[in-house]
Amino acid sequence: MRKGSIAASLFWLSAGWLVVALVATGFLLTDLYSRALDTALSDTLDFHVESLAGSLLETGDPQSQDIALADPRFGRPRSGWYWAIRDADGTLYNLSRSVVGIDTPDIPGPVSASGRQTAIMDDSFGTSMRVVERTVTIGPDTYEIIVTGNLSEILELVGNFRGQAFIVLGAVGVMLAMMSFIVARFAMRPVDRLSAAIESVRAGESAAVTGTYPREIAPLAEEVNELLRSNTQIIERARNQVGNLAHGLKTPIAVLRNEAGTSKGALADVVLAESDKMSTMVTTYLERARLAARTSVVGKKADAAKIMARLSRVMAKIHPDIAITLHPHEPALPWFRGDEADLEEIAGNLLDNACKWSGGQVEVRLSAEQGSAGTVLLLAIDDNGPGLSAEDAQKVLRRGVRLDEKTPGSGLGLDIVKELVDVYGGDLALKRSALGGLLVELRLPTARQSGITRPAT
Amino acid sequence: MRILVVEDDVNLNRQLKDALTEGGYAVDVAFDGEEGHFLGDTEPYDAIVLDIGLPQMDGLSVLENWRRDGKTTPVLLLTARDRWSDKVQGIDAGADDYVAKPFHMEEVLARLRALVRRAAGLASNEIVSGTVRLDVRSGKVTVDGQSIKLTSHELRLLSYLMHHKGKVISRTELTEHLYDQDFDRDSNTIEVFVGRLRKKLPEDCIQTVRGLGYQIAEG
Repeated sequence: MRKGSIAASLFWLSAGWLVVALVATGFLLTDLYSRALDTALSDTLDFHVESLAGSLLETGDPQSQDIALADPRFGRPRSGWYWAIRDADGTLYNLSRSVVGIDTPDIPGPVSASGRQTAIMDDSFGTSMRVVERTVTIGPDTYEIIVTGNLSEILELVGNFRGQAFIVLGAVGVMLAMMSFIVARFAMRPVDRLSAAIESVRAGESAAVTGTYPREIAPLAEEVNELLRSNTQIIERARNQVGNLAHGLKTPIAVLRNEAGTSKGALADVVLAESDKMSTMVTTYLERARLAARTSVVGKKADAAKIMARLSRVMAKIHPDIAITLHPHEPALPWFRGDEADLEEIAGNLLDNACKWSGGQVEVRLSAEQGSAGTVLLLAIDDNGPGLSAEDAQKVLRRGVRLDEKTPGSGLGLDIVKELVDVYGGDLALKRSALGGLLVELRLPTARQSGITRPAT
Repeated sequence: MRILVVEDDVNLNRQLKDALTEGGYAVDVAFDGEEGHFLGDTEPYDAIVLDIGLPQMDGLSVLENWRRDGKTTPVLLLTARDRWSDKVQGIDAGADDYVAKPFHMEEVLARLRALVRRAAGLASNEIVSGTVRLDVRSGKVTVDGQSIKLTSHELRLLSYLMHHKGKVISRTELTEHLYDQDFDRDSNTIEVFVGRLRKKLPEDCIQTVRGLGYQIAEG
């Protein structure tokens, strides 16, 4: 799944190109510079050749003392700046004062048609020279005028230039590399944000990827949201199908059970026993499906006071002989952190049990309790029924245990309560009530206070 | 006592009808919401067993319509959805009690008896008038502690009069509440049954109020 890093690739790619481009630029600049200097040198030498040719033609005597060049470099020995006049046989007629301890340079090969040629040669001291040679004809005689210029100086200049150019270009390269590193990191920031947003969805802190993203990755965020939506839909549909299947099975099971209940014999007994098993399975798996689907209760909250008021009203109708007292709660009662239907299921089963067992009196109290783990919601239900011994209370809190098989109900009610309380990390305690019966104390997590206080109902 | 059963499953409908008939009720049946709604609207039932999942018109809508029209007949809801949030919804729509499928027939009978008894304003399962005692759970009748045998029609008649003791019940009302809609209604049959019942009960237990109907003394 994981291979390389976009930021690193971006960085190395741009850095690689930078190095290549900068090195090439360095060489190109040096080359241009050396060409310019060389051209300037050639021009100077051409000019000198022309002056000498002019002087020669003017005096008509190749040995004349008047033939000279003003440039003082031609007067310094070993300067690399030399000139000489000779004929085709090599007989010297005139030369600059700088020609000391060296042979006059000679370009091998025939003279070109224009009568001018140029070359690069070394003198005896190892100085590199550009040599320009030209032939001048006076009457029957043909003379060669040779002028040299110091090329080593230029090469040294070029070398210096190259050194400086590479230092400057290196500095530019380092700066550009840093820039591209920063740009790569900067370009990746929306990706990091997106990945954090998806992470928070997975952790259940939010329902969808939120925030705005640049055009390039906005489609990715939208696709992720679309995927989440369709995923939720699929889960919802599967859950509904399970629900429909399970609920749909209940009527046939009821028919089988009733039919078997009214007849006698081995077949009826088998049908009765098996339909009871089926019924239990349907209920169990329905509840499983509900619990499995209860993955994202994050962000949900419910008003316990409203739910208890509603349940008390319903119980008053189902159990008309029982007086249910809903004690007023403090105005700023925190909300339950979780699904409303779940709290209704928990409280409904507990209140229904209290009504079934009570001797006519049930009291409901809601309050906030400060515990070690913050504020919890405390629901206390008192009844004046027979109550439970400590031993029986222990037993009841275990799964699937029913103390009285005669009281209607599948015995799954309290199981569902226990499972739900576990899911929410709540706590269920059975105590002796001041009314003489059972006191059920249910502690549930609270939603963060949104600062809204509600009037007591 | 006349009961309406609205349930779309043919078998469950038949089982309910059989069980209720055996329990001493006159039973009418409907298989969809519209038929059920019509019957409940036009016939005088003592209680209604109503399934929530019905074709044409769902049970909760039927119930809400009845309640909106001022019908106060006790309604026992039958449903596969047994979460408390579903029950609350059913009760808030106007139901009086609630049985989750799959149920035991005894539970339906027990809850129906309780609904009928409550609607008549009686607190106990035993109705007493003079020396006559009727246990609504078992359908047993005793006079001076001596058990007497009644046919199902006689029991129905006595039960209705006992549930409404102290009130004068007309022959028409008796006919309407003792027989289902398919029964051949002839008011003479009522007189015949009252006559037979009087022979098994203490004298003056059932009084004739001339021109109005019959009455069983209160207390």
